[in-house]
Amino acid sequence: MSCGRPHETPCSQVVASLSAYIDGEVGAEEYRLIAVHLTECPPCEHQRQEVRRVQALVARASAGIATPEGLRERIRVTVVSDTSHRRPGNDQE
Amino acid sequence: MPEAPAATDPHRSEQPVGNDPTGEPSDPSDACDPSDPGRELSDEELSTLFATDALPYLDQLYGTALRMTRNPADAEDLVQETYAKAFAAYRTFQQGTNLRAWLFRILRNTFINDYRKAQRQPRFQPTDELGDAQMLDIETRSAGGSRSAEIEALELLGDDDVSAALAEIPEEFRTAVVLADVEGFSYREIADIMDSPVGTVMSRVHRGRKALRGLLDKYAKNQGLVGAWGGEES
Repeated sequence: MSCGRPHETPCSQVVASLSAYIDGEVGAEEYRLIAVHLTECPPCEHQRQEVRRVQALVARASAGIATPEGLRERIRVTVVSDTSHRRPGNDQE
Repeated sequence: MPEAPAATDPHRSEQPVGNDPTGEPSDPSDACDPSDPGRELSDEELSTLFATDALPYLDQLYGTALRMTRNPADAEDLVQETYAKAFAAYRTFQQGTNLRAWLFRILRNTFINDYRKAQRQPRFQPTDELGDAQMLDIETRSAGGSRSAEIEALELLGDDDVSAALAEIPEEFRTAVVLADVEGFSYREIADIMDSPVGTVMSRVHRGRKALRGLLDKYAKNQGLVGAWGGEES
Protein backbone atom coordinates (compact mmCIF):
# COMPACT_ATOMS: atom_id res chain seq x y z
CA MET A 1 0.00 0.00 0.00
CA SER A 2 1.18 3.50 -0.79
CA CYS A 3 -0.11 6.95 -0.02
CA GLY A 4 0.31 7.76 -3.72
CA ARG A 5 2.67 10.65 -3.17
CA PRO A 6 6.20 10.71 -4.57
CA HIS A 7 8.94 10.00 -2.05
CA GLU A 8 12.71 10.25 -2.10
CA THR A 9 12.74 6.59 -1.04
CA PRO A 10 10.10 4.26 -2.54
CA CYS A 11 7.57 2.65 -0.20
CA SER A 12 8.68 -0.85 -1.24
CA GLN A 13 12.24 -0.11 -0.15
CA VAL A 14 11.09 1.34 3.17
CA VAL A 15 8.81 -1.59 3.93
CA ALA A 16 11.57 -4.09 3.11
CA SER A 17 13.90 -2.36 5.57
CA LEU A 18 11.38 -1.67 8.35
CA SER A 19 12.54 -4.46 10.67
CA ALA A 20 16.20 -3.54 10.25
CA TYR A 21 15.30 0.13 10.78
CA ILE A 22 13.41 -0.64 13.98
CA ASP A 23 16.23 -2.86 15.21
CA GLY A 24 18.86 -0.20 14.60
CA GLU A 25 20.50 -2.35 11.94
CA VAL A 26 20.66 0.20 9.09
CA GLY A 27 23.32 2.79 8.41
CA ALA A 28 22.95 6.47 9.30
CA GLU A 29 21.96 7.62 5.81
CA GLU A 30 19.41 4.84 5.29
CA TYR A 31 18.03 5.55 8.76
CA ARG A 32 17.57 9.21 7.83
CA LEU A 33 15.87 8.39 4.53
CA ILE A 34 13.43 5.98 6.18
CA ALA A 35 12.73 8.34 9.06
CA VAL A 36 11.87 11.13 6.63
CA HIS A 37 9.72 8.78 4.57
CA LEU A 38 7.77 7.65 7.62
CA THR A 39 6.88 11.22 8.53
CA GLU A 40 5.45 11.72 5.02
CA CYS A 41 3.72 8.39 4.40
CA PRO A 42 0.93 7.26 6.75
CA PRO A 43 0.61 3.72 5.28
CA CYS A 44 4.31 3.00 5.84
CA GLU A 45 4.13 4.53 9.31
CA HIS A 46 1.15 2.27 9.98
CA GLN A 47 3.24 -0.74 8.99
CA ARG A 48 6.02 0.42 11.29
CA GLN A 49 3.53 0.52 14.14
CA GLU A 50 2.34 -2.97 13.23
CA VAL A 51 5.85 -4.35 13.46
CA ARG A 52 6.36 -2.64 16.82
CA ARG A 53 3.07 -4.11 18.06
CA VAL A 54 4.05 -7.62 16.96
CA GLN A 55 7.39 -7.19 18.72
CA ALA A 56 5.66 -6.12 21.91
CA LEU A 57 3.22 -9.04 21.76
CA VAL A 58 6.02 -11.57 21.28
CA ALA A 59 7.95 -10.08 24.19
CA ARG A 60 4.84 -10.01 26.39
CA ALA A 61 3.92 -13.62 25.64
CA SER A 62 7.47 -14.78 26.30
CA ALA A 63 7.74 -12.87 29.57
CA GLY A 64 5.04 -15.15 30.94
CA ILE A 65 7.08 -18.32 30.43
CA ALA A 66 8.03 -19.85 33.76
CA THR A 67 11.10 -22.03 34.08
CA PRO A 68 10.07 -25.38 35.64
CA GLU A 69 10.50 -25.54 39.36
CA GLY A 70 13.61 -27.45 40.31
CA LEU A 71 15.32 -27.25 36.91
CA ARG A 72 17.96 -24.84 38.16
CA GLU A 73 18.82 -27.12 41.06
CA ARG A 74 18.86 -30.22 38.84
CA ILE A 75 21.35 -28.55 36.52
CA ARG A 76 23.41 -27.39 39.45
CA VAL A 77 23.55 -30.92 40.87
CA THR A 78 23.84 -33.01 37.70
CA VAL A 79 25.98 -30.72 35.57
CA VAL A 80 27.91 -28.33 37.73
CA SER A 81 28.47 -30.27 40.93
CA ASP A 82 29.45 -33.50 39.20
CA THR A 83 32.97 -32.62 38.08
CA SER A 84 34.16 -36.23 37.94
CA HIS A 85 33.48 -36.56 34.23
CA ARG A 86 35.74 -33.63 33.48
CA ARG A 87 38.89 -35.21 34.79
CA PRO A 88 41.27 -36.54 32.15
CA GLY A 89 41.25 -40.30 31.81
CA ASN A 90 37.93 -40.65 33.55
CA ASP A 91 35.46 -42.38 31.28
CA GLN A 92 32.60 -42.12 33.69
CA GLU A 93 29.44 -40.73 32.07
CA MET B 1 13.61 -7.16 27.04
CA PRO B 2 14.68 -8.86 30.23
CA GLU B 3 17.71 -7.56 32.00
CA ALA B 4 20.68 -9.81 31.54
CA PRO B 5 23.83 -10.06 33.57
CA ALA B 6 26.87 -8.62 31.89
CA ALA B 7 28.59 -11.06 29.58
CA THR B 8 31.86 -10.55 31.33
CA ASP B 9 32.48 -10.84 35.01
CA PRO B 10 35.20 -9.04 36.91
CA HIS B 11 36.08 -12.30 38.63
CA ARG B 12 37.07 -13.77 35.32
CA SER B 13 39.57 -11.06 34.53
CA GLU B 14 41.24 -11.72 37.86
CA GLN B 15 41.40 -15.45 37.23
CA PRO B 16 42.31 -16.13 33.61
CA VAL B 17 40.89 -19.38 32.33
CA GLY B 18 43.32 -21.66 30.57
CA ASN B 19 42.50 -22.65 27.04
CA ASP B 20 43.81 -26.20 27.12
CA PRO B 21 40.86 -28.33 26.02
CA THR B 22 42.44 -31.48 27.42
CA GLY B 23 42.17 -30.06 30.92
CA GLU B 24 45.59 -31.33 31.95
CA PRO B 25 46.07 -30.56 35.62
CA SER B 26 48.82 -28.13 36.45
CA ASP B 27 51.78 -29.02 38.61
CA PRO B 28 50.48 -29.43 42.19
CA SER B 29 53.39 -27.38 43.47
CA ASP B 30 51.98 -24.38 41.60
CA ALA B 31 48.35 -24.94 42.45
CA CYS B 32 48.37 -23.25 45.84
CA ASP B 33 49.48 -19.85 44.60
CA PRO B 34 46.35 -17.82 43.81
CA SER B 35 48.39 -14.89 42.56
CA ASP B 36 49.92 -16.92 39.75
CA PRO B 37 48.22 -15.61 36.59
CA GLY B 38 49.31 -18.66 34.59
CA ARG B 39 47.77 -21.33 36.75
CA GLU B 40 44.75 -23.21 35.58
CA LEU B 41 41.52 -23.29 37.54
CA SER B 42 40.74 -26.49 39.38
CA ASP B 43 37.59 -28.37 38.40
CA GLU B 44 35.96 -27.12 41.59
CA GLU B 45 36.87 -23.50 40.87
CA LEU B 46 35.64 -23.88 37.31
CA SER B 47 32.36 -25.34 38.58
CA THR B 48 31.85 -22.40 40.89
CA LEU B 49 32.66 -19.94 38.14
CA PHE B 50 30.30 -21.68 35.71
CA ALA B 51 27.47 -21.73 38.24
CA THR B 52 27.98 -18.05 38.97
CA ASP B 53 28.32 -16.90 35.36
CA ALA B 54 26.20 -19.28 33.29
CA LEU B 55 23.31 -20.38 35.49
CA PRO B 56 21.76 -16.87 35.63
CA TYR B 57 20.89 -17.32 31.93
CA LEU B 58 18.68 -20.33 32.64
CA ASP B 59 15.36 -18.50 32.34
CA GLN B 60 16.32 -16.97 29.00
CA LEU B 61 17.62 -20.26 27.63
CA TYR B 62 14.54 -22.15 28.78
CA GLY B 63 12.19 -19.59 27.23
CA THR B 64 13.95 -19.84 23.89
CA ALA B 65 14.16 -23.64 24.15
CA LEU B 66 10.40 -23.76 24.70
CA ARG B 67 9.86 -21.68 21.56
CA MET B 68 12.16 -23.97 19.60
CA THR B 69 10.76 -27.31 20.78
CA ARG B 70 7.19 -26.16 21.45
CA ASN B 71 6.81 -28.51 24.38
CA PRO B 72 8.01 -28.17 27.99
CA ALA B 73 9.48 -31.65 28.40
CA ASP B 74 11.75 -31.31 25.35
CA ALA B 75 12.64 -27.75 26.33
CA GLU B 76 13.75 -28.93 29.76
CA ASP B 77 15.85 -31.74 28.29
CA LEU B 78 17.33 -29.38 25.71
CA VAL B 79 18.37 -26.86 28.33
CA GLN B 80 19.92 -29.53 30.56
CA GLU B 81 21.86 -30.90 27.63
CA THR B 82 22.94 -27.39 26.65
CA TYR B 83 24.34 -26.75 30.13
CA ALA B 84 26.08 -30.12 30.15
CA LYS B 85 27.78 -29.35 26.83
CA ALA B 86 28.61 -25.80 27.87
CA PHE B 87 30.16 -26.97 31.13
CA ALA B 88 32.18 -29.66 29.37
CA ALA B 89 33.58 -26.98 27.02
CA TYR B 90 33.79 -24.18 29.57
CA ARG B 91 37.53 -24.48 30.08
CA THR B 92 38.01 -23.53 26.43
CA PHE B 93 35.55 -20.63 26.57
CA GLN B 94 37.39 -17.44 25.65
CA GLN B 95 37.33 -14.98 28.49
CA GLY B 96 35.97 -11.61 27.50
CA THR B 97 33.80 -12.96 24.70
CA ASN B 98 30.03 -13.09 24.83
CA LEU B 99 29.05 -15.85 27.26
CA ARG B 100 25.32 -15.32 26.73
CA ALA B 101 25.60 -15.62 22.94
CA TRP B 102 27.91 -18.63 23.38
CA LEU B 103 25.29 -20.41 25.50
CA PHE B 104 22.55 -19.62 22.99
CA ARG B 105 24.73 -20.93 20.18
CA ILE B 106 25.17 -24.22 22.04
CA LEU B 107 21.41 -24.31 22.66
CA ARG B 108 20.63 -23.82 18.99
CA ASN B 109 23.25 -26.34 17.81
CA THR B 110 22.01 -28.92 20.30
CA PHE B 111 18.47 -28.36 19.11
CA ILE B 112 19.43 -28.74 15.45
CA ASN B 113 21.59 -31.81 16.01
CA ASP B 114 19.65 -33.69 18.65
CA TYR B 115 16.06 -32.51 18.63
CA ARG B 116 14.86 -31.13 15.34
CA LYS B 117 15.60 -34.34 13.46
CA ALA B 118 14.08 -36.46 16.21
CA GLN B 119 10.86 -34.52 16.39
CA ARG B 120 8.33 -36.13 14.12
CA GLN B 121 5.81 -33.35 14.21
CA PRO B 122 4.63 -32.58 10.69
CA ARG B 123 5.33 -28.86 10.96
CA PHE B 124 9.00 -29.42 11.51
CA GLN B 125 11.05 -29.19 8.36
CA PRO B 126 14.54 -30.62 8.14
CA THR B 127 16.01 -28.06 5.78
CA ASP B 128 15.98 -24.32 5.30
CA GLU B 129 14.55 -24.81 1.82
CA LEU B 130 11.50 -26.60 3.15
CA GLY B 131 11.17 -23.98 5.88
CA ASP B 132 11.20 -21.32 3.19
CA ALA B 133 8.50 -23.14 1.24
CA GLN B 134 6.38 -23.41 4.36
CA MET B 135 6.92 -19.72 5.05
CA LEU B 136 5.87 -18.79 1.54
CA ASP B 137 2.68 -20.74 2.08
CA ILE B 138 1.92 -18.83 5.29
CA GLU B 139 2.74 -15.52 3.62
CA THR B 140 0.50 -16.34 0.66
CA ARG B 141 -2.40 -17.38 2.86
CA SER B 142 -2.14 -14.32 5.09
CA ALA B 143 -1.69 -11.81 2.26
CA GLY B 144 -4.49 -9.95 0.54
CA GLY B 145 -8.13 -10.51 1.35
CA SER B 146 -10.13 -8.16 3.47
CA ARG B 147 -8.63 -5.30 5.42
CA SER B 148 -6.44 -6.20 8.34
CA ALA B 149 -7.47 -5.91 11.93
CA GLU B 150 -6.76 -2.66 13.70
CA ILE B 151 -3.43 -2.66 15.42
CA GLU B 152 -5.17 -2.10 18.74
CA ALA B 153 -7.33 -5.19 18.24
CA LEU B 154 -4.20 -7.32 18.44
CA GLU B 155 -3.77 -6.18 22.02
CA LEU B 156 -6.94 -8.08 22.86
CA LEU B 157 -5.33 -11.36 21.85
CA GLY B 158 -4.03 -13.50 24.67
CA ASP B 159 -0.49 -14.73 25.15
CA ASP B 160 -1.70 -18.20 24.12
CA ASP B 161 -2.72 -16.81 20.74
CA VAL B 162 0.69 -15.22 20.29
CA SER B 163 2.40 -18.47 21.28
CA ALA B 164 0.19 -20.40 18.84
CA ALA B 165 1.07 -17.99 16.04
CA LEU B 166 4.76 -18.31 16.84
CA ALA B 167 4.44 -22.10 16.79
CA GLU B 168 2.97 -21.95 13.29
CA ILE B 169 5.96 -20.35 11.61
CA PRO B 170 9.04 -22.40 10.67
CA GLU B 171 11.66 -22.80 13.36
CA GLU B 172 14.42 -20.75 11.75
CA PHE B 173 12.08 -17.75 11.41
CA ARG B 174 10.61 -18.25 14.87
CA THR B 175 14.01 -18.49 16.53
CA ALA B 176 15.32 -15.41 14.69
CA VAL B 177 12.31 -13.39 15.87
CA VAL B 178 12.60 -14.62 19.45
CA LEU B 179 16.34 -13.91 19.60
CA ALA B 180 15.71 -10.38 18.33
CA ASP B 181 12.48 -9.44 20.10
CA VAL B 182 12.74 -11.34 23.36
CA GLU B 183 16.48 -11.61 23.91
CA GLY B 184 17.49 -8.38 22.20
CA PHE B 185 20.42 -9.87 20.31
CA SER B 186 21.86 -7.90 17.39
CA TYR B 187 21.65 -9.37 13.90
CA ARG B 188 25.40 -10.10 14.07
CA GLU B 189 24.93 -12.05 17.31
CA ILE B 190 21.93 -13.92 15.90
CA ALA B 191 23.98 -14.75 12.81
CA ASP B 192 26.65 -16.28 15.04
CA ILE B 193 24.11 -18.16 17.15
CA MET B 194 22.25 -19.55 14.14
CA ASP B 195 25.35 -19.99 11.98
CA SER B 196 23.79 -17.94 9.18
CA PRO B 197 24.80 -14.83 7.21
CA VAL B 198 23.60 -11.50 8.63
CA GLY B 199 21.54 -10.91 5.49
CA THR B 200 19.69 -14.17 6.08
CA VAL B 201 18.99 -13.15 9.67
CA MET B 202 17.64 -9.81 8.51
CA SER B 203 15.32 -11.56 6.07
CA ARG B 204 14.16 -14.13 8.64
CA VAL B 205 13.38 -11.50 11.26
CA HIS B 206 11.48 -9.40 8.75
CA ARG B 207 9.51 -12.25 7.22
CA GLY B 208 8.92 -13.84 10.60
CA ARG B 209 7.34 -10.70 12.02
CA LYS B 210 5.31 -10.18 8.87
CA ALA B 211 3.97 -13.74 9.00
CA LEU B 212 3.17 -13.33 12.68
CA ARG B 213 1.24 -10.17 11.85
CA GLY B 214 -0.79 -12.09 9.29
CA LEU B 215 -1.48 -14.99 11.64
CA LEU B 216 -2.43 -12.71 14.55
CA ASP B 217 -4.71 -10.85 12.17
CA LYS B 218 -6.40 -14.15 11.33
CA TYR B 219 -6.81 -15.01 15.02
CA ALA B 220 -8.28 -11.58 15.73
CA LYS B 221 -10.81 -12.01 12.94
CA ASN B 222 -11.73 -15.52 14.08
CA GLN B 223 -12.39 -14.19 17.57
CA GLY B 224 -14.49 -11.30 16.29
CA LEU B 225 -11.98 -8.71 17.45
CA VAL B 226 -11.88 -6.91 14.10
CA GLY B 227 -13.89 -3.73 14.41
CA ALA B 228 -13.77 -3.86 18.19
CA TRP B 229 -11.97 -0.56 18.08
CA GLY B 230 -14.24 0.91 15.45
CA GLY B 231 -11.60 2.58 13.30
CA GLU B 232 -10.81 2.06 9.67
CA GLU B 233 -7.33 1.27 8.55
CA SER B 234 -5.42 4.28 7.25
